[in-house]
Amino acid sequence: MSSKLRWVWVLGVIVLVAMVVVACAPAAAPTAEEPITLDLHFGTDPPTLDPALGSDTTSIWADEQLYLALTDLDDVTVEAIPELATWEVSADGLVYTFSMRDDAKWVHYDIRIDTVEEVGPVTAHDVVYGTKRTLDPRTGSPYAYVLYLIEGGEDLNTADPDELSEEELQALIDGVGIKALDDYTVEVTLTQSAAFFPAVASMWVMRPMPQATIEEFGEDWVMPGNLVSNGPYVLTEWSHGAMLRFKKNPYYYDADQVQIEAINGPVIMETSTAFALYEAGELDIMADPGWGVPLPDMDRVRADPALSKELSIEPRLCTYYYGFVTTKPPFDNVLVRKAFAAAIDSQALIDNVLKGGQLPAHTFACPGIWGAPVDDMTIAPYLLDIAEGKAKAQEFLAEAGYPNCEGFPEVILMHNISEGHALIAQAIQEMWRENLGCTVKIETMEWSAYLNMLLPDSPDEDKPQIYRLGWCADYPDEANWVGDVFNSKSTQNYAKFFNDEFDAAVEEALGEQDLEKRAALYNRAEHLLIDENMAIAPIYYYTRVNMFKPYLTEHPVNPAGGTVHMDKWVLDWEAKKAALGLE
Amino acid sequence: MLRYIVRRLLVSIPVLIALTFVVFALMRAIPGGPFDFVGDKSLPASVVANLERKYHLDEPLLKQYGRYLWDLLHLDMGPSMRERGRMVNDIVRDNFPVSFQLGAMSVALAVVMGIPLGILAALKQNSWIDYLATFIAVIGVAIPALVLAPFLIWIVGVRLGWLPAALWGAERPFYLGFIPKPTPDFFRHAILPVVTLGTGFTAAIGRLTRAALLQVIREDYIRTARAKGLRERAVVVRHALKNSLIPVVTVIGPLFAAVVTGTFVVEQMFAIPGMGKYYVTAISQRDYPVIMGVTLIYAVLLVAANLLVDMTYAWLDPRIRYQ
Repeated sequence: MSSKLRWVWVLGVIVLVAMVVVACAPAAAPTAEEPITLDLHFGTDPPTLDPALGSDTTSIWADEQLYLALTDLDDVTVEAIPELATWEVSADGLVYTFSMRDDAKWVHYDIRIDTVEEVGPVTAHDVVYGTKRTLDPRTGSPYAYVLYLIEGGEDLNTADPDELSEEELQALIDGVGIKALDDYTVEVTLTQSAAFFPAVASMWVMRPMPQATIEEFGEDWVMPGNLVSNGPYVLTEWSHGAMLRFKKNPYYYDADQVQIEAINGPVIMETSTAFALYEAGELDIMADPGWGVPLPDMDRVRADPALSKELSIEPRLCTYYYGFVTTKPPFDNVLVRKAFAAAIDSQALIDNVLKGGQLPAHTFACPGIWGAPVDDMTIAPYLLDIAEGKAKAQEFLAEAGYPNCEGFPEVILMHNISEGHALIAQAIQEMWRENLGCTVKIETMEWSAYLNMLLPDSPDEDKPQIYRLGWCADYPDEANWVGDVFNSKSTQNYAKFFNDEFDAAVEEALGEQDLEKRAALYNRAEHLLIDENMAIAPIYYYTRVNMFKPYLTEHPVNPAGGTVHMDKWVLDWEAKKAALGLE
Repeated sequence: MLRYIVRRLLVSIPVLIALTFVVFALMRAIPGGPFDFVGDKSLPASVVANLERKYHLDEPLLKQYGRYLWDLLHLDMGPSMRERGRMVNDIVRDNFPVSFQLGAMSVALAVVMGIPLGILAALKQNSWIDYLATFIAVIGVAIPALVLAPFLIWIVGVRLGWLPAALWGAERPFYLGFIPKPTPDFFRHAILPVVTLGTGFTAAIGRLTRAALLQVIREDYIRTARAKGLRERAVVVRHALKNSLIPVVTVIGPLFAAVVTGTFVVEQMFAIPGMGKYYVTAISQRDYPVIMGVTLIYAVLLVAANLLVDMTYAWLDPRIRYQ
């Protein structure tokens, strides 16, 4: 062997041996003085930590730890409760006055000396700035539209800044119906009465934002070292795609009640990998902001005496449904739609495919949403009972002119590409074959193309007759469900359900002050949408299938997506150390 | 040689510009845009308009392309449209070094293991050693990372607990921007993903080395070397192996470019913060600048790797000369 070549091989072998030797050295064990630490994971890198720009549960989870809101959502009832402020509403329901507490502080984490510093008080001016910033079209906030109910909000957000002078734009900003009456009082004027507004005030897009920091650092203001925040935790590290770390904010007004002192969260995009780390003891939870239990592991988890005790199934404010394109034959016939909806055995789907304790659905809005008539069993009760459903389905189909599905044209069920959606589609395809005698073709499409194809103004010939979709709450009120999704003008109205009575009901409900009347209007809307017209077939209400190590003694999970109050969690630190063999 | 290199580099510039145009045209041809939806919801037209205006998507396509090229000339690959506030340059700076570390170690493993495996198999053709080496190579090629990764994670990481089941142990900052500190934690985390990614390459390189060596060893000049009375070892190493490495090097170039720019499956399975995910998610999210950026990085590395391969030919085979 030539001497050069020999050295290459020798070096290669030395490197390999060195790697193995070094790798076998024991990993550094945490010391006893380490803060009480929770190890969770993120299912994806948060696309942003700027509350004006958030639109996904991961970003919203982080916003919840970093920034306080005027109001909050109760972990059990999901009703709006005070956070930074209590509120009063005018008799006509148009003006909300928020009285803020004066002990909330802006803080800055100095990355060089690992210290949290107080910056100043959180005031009404910060709330006004934050709201107007979200509505400013130059910010490009994806969720700005939820603030259109504030006077002048829509005018500002829909303006084209390129077409306006600075003065004109400023006039629009000044015209937004939110103002600071003094340092700790915010007044918000709405375009119409909206009983759910306190819930909107809990959303990330309406949080106080630090104007000076944003103007100093631009889009980088959310990076550790720059970030000024006010929540129970501060951000100490954000290695994109790899790791986020938080530590307790000592200046948080309720800091004495915050037990977990540090939160570490690696970004793990693969659910089975996260679960492997959970089983290896490197993660304490399988829950938001990361993944729940992987579906293929559900049977094993349920059968395992130890793991099954760590399983925790919690409600989530989302509904899974199949929509019917009501303008496309044969689904332009309500009897056909009812037949296909009635032939779905949701409970069997949950028991055999989903396995996550989901609830069969018969309304669009799920339990926990204000005004959702989930207890009204006059709304398509046959959706909850397959014995009745099967008989009804055959009846409906025969009445539509297709007894035993004879002469029924080929129809397509489409879903976006996903293993989970495919399993559900196959199960329901089989139910339709068995209960109706109809064979339905399943097709899939990539997500972005799928949503574009479904838009109400896209051509019907490109669409399937049946499509799958889900809806999750932005805020827990029927206005955000039947009102936002299926009104005739909605771009989300993929079913093309155009019904004047329905439109009138949801419009009237939006401004109705009398809560009983308002609930009745939403009840009527759900009747029209499901029971009478079956524009969609609600299939199940979501759950979260979480796991928590036994040493997490308190871990409330709010049904609203992302709204997880880590400051209320309690971890038995001694038990965790013992479980990991660190003592 | 220098003239050849300069000429090749100059030729690669129009190739890369053409590539940006093709990718730009292709990604705009597919339906959908970066701001069509959040989660399961589509956005109101007014909100989409604000976002499109912010990222200049409301401008004519040619103007957008011109703007992109102009920024590129200033080494600015633009902002990510889905990771708000993050530039594509930031993504490359943060994620490429990690992919490079994983990819380079995997290729190194493949070379160090694969070439001796191939030599052994060729020299002991049709013996049990050959059959064993071929068996290992076939297994290595046949088991995809998608299967090997969960197997290693479950057995070595979770059940035996010998090595970390996932995550990447490199501490930032990196030397020269991409070389990690050689800490035990780094190597402990690297072993499973490197083995997962490197196994297939080891097998492929082993099989290629065997085939090439078997062919070369039957050449006249090898017979001449043997006739001169050279020892078998000298014949194999000095005369046969060097020439038989040409097809191996040809494969290693593009392979290197492909793996150091990110491997989706291995990075995803081991939760490694590399560039691999962007090749998949950027397309599904229609994050146009990121699609352009990662494609461009891959193309530049491919051009560079191919040039290096061509230069290596001259060293391996003195008959090859560059004009």
